[in-house]
Amino acid sequence: MESQIELEYEDIKGHADTKMVRFVGDLDATNVETVLEKICNLFNDGFINIIADFKKLRYVNSTGLGILLHFSKSAKEKNGSFKIANVNENVYEIIEIIGATTLLEIYDEVDEAIAALK
Amino acid sequence: MPDLKIQRKPLDLRPDLTMWKIEGPLDAESIGYIHREFDSVLESKQNFLVAEMSGVTQVSSAAIGQLMGCRQLLVERGGDLVITGVSLDIKSKLSAMGATKIFKFYNELRTAVNAYHWEVERKSEMVWMSFPPELQFVPPVRQMVSRIARQKGYTNRDSFRIETIVDEVCNNAVEHGSERLKKNIDLNIKIDREKIELEVINASDPDKIDALRALSTSMPKTPDAKLGQKRGRGLALIKMLSNKLDINFSGDGTSVHVTKLREE
Repeated sequence: MESQIELEYEDIKGHADTKMVRFVGDLDATNVETVLEKICNLFNDGFINIIADFKKLRYVNSTGLGILLHFSKSAKEKNGSFKIANVNENVYEIIEIIGATTLLEIYDEVDEAIAALK
Repeated sequence: MPDLKIQRKPLDLRPDLTMWKIEGPLDAESIGYIHREFDSVLESKQNFLVAEMSGVTQVSSAAIGQLMGCRQLLVERGGDLVITGVSLDIKSKLSAMGATKIFKFYNELRTAVNAYHWEVERKSEMVWMSFPPELQFVPPVRQMVSRIARQKGYTNRDSFRIETIVDEVCNNAVEHGSERLKKNIDLNIKIDREKIELEVINASDPDKIDALRALSTSMPKTPDAKLGQKRGRGLALIKMLSNKLDINFSGDGTSVHVTKLREE
């Protein structure tokens, strides 16, 4: 049985190659493969920009953070981006400890992430 | 209206501790009576007092102020005055007076005694768990340990860090240890006011022990944030979140001992 995580998708008006994904729940070793598959499917479907809304992401561990870095790398390879918004302070601390704050594109709000799209 | 009555007696659960069975109105006229009764508590060198208030019919701010003064004296001596058995009606009045921010309230005498063990005697509590070596069991285990920490007064941030540590250690135990061997993973927790100690013991494949030992000794001081790397940051993350990390390898198993100090 996996930890509970739901991914909710939303289109961004005026950005056909962008998808907003709301992460709801915990991202950990039990569900990274599922999340990996779903996000990679978006890349394969031509969505080269992903905006991840973490407002309802309660928890992330090192394995979860590993796939976030992987998404960032994959997006860059496709000349796109993987942007994160609304990170809670506990999750941010884990990202910070791993030293990934400079590697991931992190925004306070989703609107800021959208405004930063090329 | 009957006068206030304070009956002083030892607690059945801990006869060396004192209980006040308080009945009647805790009004302004009772201040002198409370004062005299409290003097006798001090004379007997008691520094922890349980006020059982199920029979209290009325409270006044003057009498509660007197009890606050009593509590302050006990706190200065390393003890406390705690309240049990209070009705909802009285508790809401105490809340309006600000007393719920000063006193600790317990539903039962047993929980008040447990508070004495924890707050005054500074005793630690132990929890033991054993679970199958499968990833699916790790989330409920880590969440339970986090809840224990929160319930014991650790901050949300500390509880989250503890949850992360448990998660990373247990995931490693599953991944590098027992999954193939089908032997349960043991998690021993010792928690007190100052720190939490976690010990995770798992059976390891004897063929893997040398490789695991090499992995632990080459562990980086800080996690590696390389973009393309999906795994391999767990131990370094534990090290960053905890105050002490020891890994011991024996012929047939691995034990990881982590100490995390409580932040105030």
